[in-house]
Amino acid sequence: MTTDSVLYLLPEATLAGVATLIVVLGVFVAWRAVWSWVAAAGLVFAAVFVLRFDGVADGGLLAGDAMASFVRWLVVGSGLLLVMAAARASCRTQTAEYVGSLLFAVLGLLLVASAQDLTLMFVGLELVSIPSYILLYLGGRGVPGKEATAKYFFLSVFSSAVTLYGFAFLYGIGGSTHLVEIHARLIDGVPSGFQLLGALALVLIFSGLAFKIAAAPFHFYAPDVYQGTSPINAAILAVLPKIAGIVAMVRILGVAMPGQSETGWHLALVVAALTMTLGNTLALWQNNVRRLLAYSSIAHAGYMLIGLTVAFAAQQTVDTVSQFDGLAAMLFYLAVYALATIGVFAALTYLGDDQRPLETVDEMAGLGRSRPITALAIAVFMFSLAGVPPLAGFWGKLGLFASAIAFQPGQAGGAQGWLLVLAIIGLLNAVVAAGYYLRIVAVMYFRSSDRPAAGEGGAGAWTASFICALLVLAVGLLPGPMVNASRQAATAARTSVQQDAVERAADVAAGSVPFSQTPAMNEPF
Amino acid sequence: MFKIETLMVLIPGLPLLSAIITAALGKWLLRSRSHWPAVLAVGGACLLSVLLLFQVRREAAALHEAGDAQAAAHAVGYEKTYTVWTWAVVSRALPARATFGQQASETSHSADPPGTTVPEDSSTSADARSLEIGITLRADPLTAVMLVTVTLISLLVVIYSIGYMHDDVGYWRFFTYVSLFVFSMTMLVSASNFALLYVFWEAVGLCSYLLIGFWFTRPAAAAAGMKAFLVNRVGDFGFALGLFLLWTTYGTLNFHDTAAAPGILGQTLLADPSQYAGGWVATAICLLLLLGACGKSAQFPLHVWLPDAMEGPTPVSALIHAATMVTAGVYMVTRCTPLYLVSADAQQVVLLVGMITALLAAAIALTQTDLKRVLAYSTISQLGYMFIGLGVGTLPGIVAGMFHLFTHAFFKALLFLGAGSVMHAMGGVIDMRRFGGLRRRMPVTHWTFLIGALALAAVAPFAGFWSKDAIVAAISQRVQDDHHGASVALYQWVFWGSLFTAGLTAFYTFRAFFLTFYGEEQIPEEAGHHAHESPPVMTWPLIVLAAASVFVGWCFQRGQRFDHFLMQTPSLAFSSAQATLPAGEHGGHGNVAVVSTLVALIGIGLAAYLYLGDRWEVAWIARRLRWLYTISYRRFFIDPIYMALFVWPLRGLAAFSYWLDRQCIDRLVDWVGRVPLAIGASVRALQSGLLPFYAMAMVFGLLVLIGILVR
Repeated sequence: MTTDSVLYLLPEATLAGVATLIVVLGVFVAWRAVWSWVAAAGLVFAAVFVLRFDGVADGGLLAGDAMASFVRWLVVGSGLLLVMAAARASCRTQTAEYVGSLLFAVLGLLLVASAQDLTLMFVGLELVSIPSYILLYLGGRGVPGKEATAKYFFLSVFSSAVTLYGFAFLYGIGGSTHLVEIHARLIDGVPSGFQLLGALALVLIFSGLAFKIAAAPFHFYAPDVYQGTSPINAAILAVLPKIAGIVAMVRILGVAMPGQSETGWHLALVVAALTMTLGNTLALWQNNVRRLLAYSSIAHAGYMLIGLTVAFAAQQTVDTVSQFDGLAAMLFYLAVYALATIGVFAALTYLGDDQRPLETVDEMAGLGRSRPITALAIAVFMFSLAGVPPLAGFWGKLGLFASAIAFQPGQAGGAQGWLLVLAIIGLLNAVVAAGYYLRIVAVMYFRSSDRPAAGEGGAGAWTASFICALLVLAVGLLPGPMVNASRQAATAARTSVQQDAVERAADVAAGSVPFSQTPAMNEPF
Repeated sequence: MFKIETLMVLIPGLPLLSAIITAALGKWLLRSRSHWPAVLAVGGACLLSVLLLFQVRREAAALHEAGDAQAAAHAVGYEKTYTVWTWAVVSRALPARATFGQQASETSHSADPPGTTVPEDSSTSADARSLEIGITLRADPLTAVMLVTVTLISLLVVIYSIGYMHDDVGYWRFFTYVSLFVFSMTMLVSASNFALLYVFWEAVGLCSYLLIGFWFTRPAAAAAGMKAFLVNRVGDFGFALGLFLLWTTYGTLNFHDTAAAPGILGQTLLADPSQYAGGWVATAICLLLLLGACGKSAQFPLHVWLPDAMEGPTPVSALIHAATMVTAGVYMVTRCTPLYLVSADAQQVVLLVGMITALLAAAIALTQTDLKRVLAYSTISQLGYMFIGLGVGTLPGIVAGMFHLFTHAFFKALLFLGAGSVMHAMGGVIDMRRFGGLRRRMPVTHWTFLIGALALAAVAPFAGFWSKDAIVAAISQRVQDDHHGASVALYQWVFWGSLFTAGLTAFYTFRAFFLTFYGEEQIPEEAGHHAHESPPVMTWPLIVLAAASVFVGWCFQRGQRFDHFLMQTPSLAFSSAQATLPAGEHGGHGNVAVVSTLVALIGIGLAAYLYLGDRWEVAWIARRLRWLYTISYRRFFIDPIYMALFVWPLRGLAAFSYWLDRQCIDRLVDWVGRVPLAIGASVRALQSGLLPFYAMAMVFGLLVLIGILVR
């Protein structure tokens, strides 16, 4: 580990330090509101370090590429917004522990963002999951909260096991935990006799990560857990694991496992279609807001998988970077989804009071009059999630569907027709989704209520939702910079598995790479 | 003092500023002072337009005198363009196909002497042409004349409106719309590409719609606004198609030359007119553009909206529906003279449309009882005259058409404002059967109306005489020149038809004049205490316009000033237009002038005989020629015919579509809408809430995926 890597990891180190400080000192300091400020300050420092030491990592475990910085910005930003939104709500619980756990989860996600190694990736993923259990426990209320925590804990552990199982197989065929070396090994095809293991590793890793992004059939936990916990916890669960899952999918499945394209696009296509259809059709039936949004988040996972399907199919072609890049579209969509989701849950947090959060859609009646700004923000999020121009969500959907429609097969042509079908399914789903998003808007503006929402969730939540609304609008009006950033990120993810190989090979020759497992298994084990 | 570019931007800029200020502050702050921004802005624009006119005249003259200089040798006419900013760029909008403009520039390239500034890259960019639409303004004699006409009339009408519109609840709204109109109209005549022209063509249409329906609570006004809008859509559809055809033919929409492409009316093509597309393309372009012009300028068969448009406030009728906006079609056709000169067929269509419209509208005006409607039909008829001038196909005819536009703006605005003054005094009554003998109560209105009527009837030396005479002379010249041509009969007919129409014009004008101001004094009860002369703020514009109606014809016709100035417009100055000038010195249409004056005097005399005093012959004629009278009074039944041909079938279609939509499509959609709900319902049971079940479902799902995919 070089100085560069140390500098590169300063954001993570800062967050680790601040989180530890908060958790330790929280026992002694009674004034609880201070910890949100400390956490926010830690995140701001982390952001400064991300900006200052961008891309200085060496080619070891960390990939300091454009992909990493895109995700790190997204993660630090999301973390800041979540801390703001949780400021008042967390005061009810053990603030220090709550905010500290949130920072640990963000730290885990930062590691996932730049992990170029299976081990580090897994550590990062677990560092997202384990604090989530604590957050669920602390933030939940009564029996439903405990039930939600238990469900999430058991199923998450199960999915981690599946992921790890897949990692193990990947290590087996790749001969290394390092993604660059795995890529270098698999680029010429899976070693003969191990084709089965390649596909198995793919399905297992995909399934494990599919739990994180709540894709069918691993989505069952989401509605129950979101409903059983507080809005801010629902936001954390809807955003952080989803970023982790998508990023891991890009890093491992999207670029580091060549030769699995055939299995890959079939798998992703089926799961994508199933996920969005299930999510949207079930959301239509819901009256509980968080349950509805849980199904909505499931549906969005389905949309994002369109991008992965395109990326898998594109691996078959000669020209891997088409005009519409599936991975880039997926990353763009992820960012847009995160903004709108944090925003809407922050708004719901703000609208609730100390006794109970806003539960049903019906309780949102008359918000257009009683809380005009919050209602407008929620309407912006709903329209964005529904994909209505000129909001950010529109460009997200446009990118994904366009990447599927514009896919040009180079050699193998089987995927093209199916991708078109997938895009059509996606479009139909977008239509169905508009049904429940617009219902919320309609309830807010066209129905009146004699019992206005309490609106005691705190200024932080209000500000967070306001900022999110502005960002959604800004990205919608000027999508260019973010589209470019996501394109660069996807390109970087692709090239850094390849280009690093050259540098690493040189390092290996110099004998300076401790984790190298290069003289690996040529013979069966 | 001012750079010419500054003037070009300020002239539309000031009214736009006024529109914004009045719209923002009118309701809250300005209220009854809402006219001030409009008066100041339009006044400023008027002043600047006059400055621009002089500047253009000076520079054009300088260009003319330096005829032997290298720069001027290749310049066709005088023009100056200024791009405010480039509004839209669509790269590679036109696929790689040799377009006309391209061929033109390539051939002219080789033909041109060295040192000329033919765009270099137009011939090399053979792959594709990009569409570039700039907010480009131009200054040339034609634009300058239009600007002065528009802003001067606008200024007088705005001042008049202060009196006419006072106490109206929509006072600020009125001045906002009028400012917006002046902005749009000045932009329309300044635009230097067809796209911008089209934008402001629509913008003046919008202002017209807003102002016709100004009193939108009156159903008649709302319906009239709608009618004007819909009829104009027909014309604008043709106009848009014309633009598409221009674009595919020439690969540009600019009037002027740019680095990318030689403009449609630019120096490159004008220097060598043989490059213009001929054949059916030329005819199609011209006819499509003519359709647009017919809509805007209320020419047959799209003239039906203008009489109804009189539902708007009378100053609006004077400004938009008599003096300025309706002449946009004439302006556009004049501007496109190079295109029309290529197609003799299209020119004859213009001539025919003008003739039919002039005669038809004059015949209808004979029997109308609504003073404003008489004037409206007279406007249509006079616009027809302008089109006759344009359709003659010679430069004197075209210039005469523009000259008639210029003089007509003054005396028709005068007549409308006079009618407005009467209407104001009569408490909103405009039916000539209900008032009469107003000359004593309203002396200023009476005298100024008389001057306007004399000008409209084309009695020497009033303004209308000179311009109408120029048109008739141009036709007679054409008849003489063409006496062996195949279509000489057409020109012959148009000559006699226009003389006959001149007689009708004199008759109906003075019929209206006598019915309103002579005979027994009769005042409707709606008038109340209003039945007196209008306030000075209304009468002074009348006096100014009356003075103009006396002098503008004579002043500008003297020594062919107007003609010589206008002919320096590139569209009129190029070789094939100049070739249509009659060879000999033409002083010889004195006999035409005598004949047309005689015809006018006969018309006036007949009107005086029938309507000065209560003649029994009036009723006798109406009874004996009942069918003729009915046809004229019912406006040739054109509105009912259109109702039966277009409106009712379309209503039927709409009703059918509505039924289809409600009964079939909506139900189908409802059924489709249930599908997602049904899917959701069928899988809802899976969400049991039981942790073991979830775990098993995940395992099962995983196994299925492995089982299917891992082989």
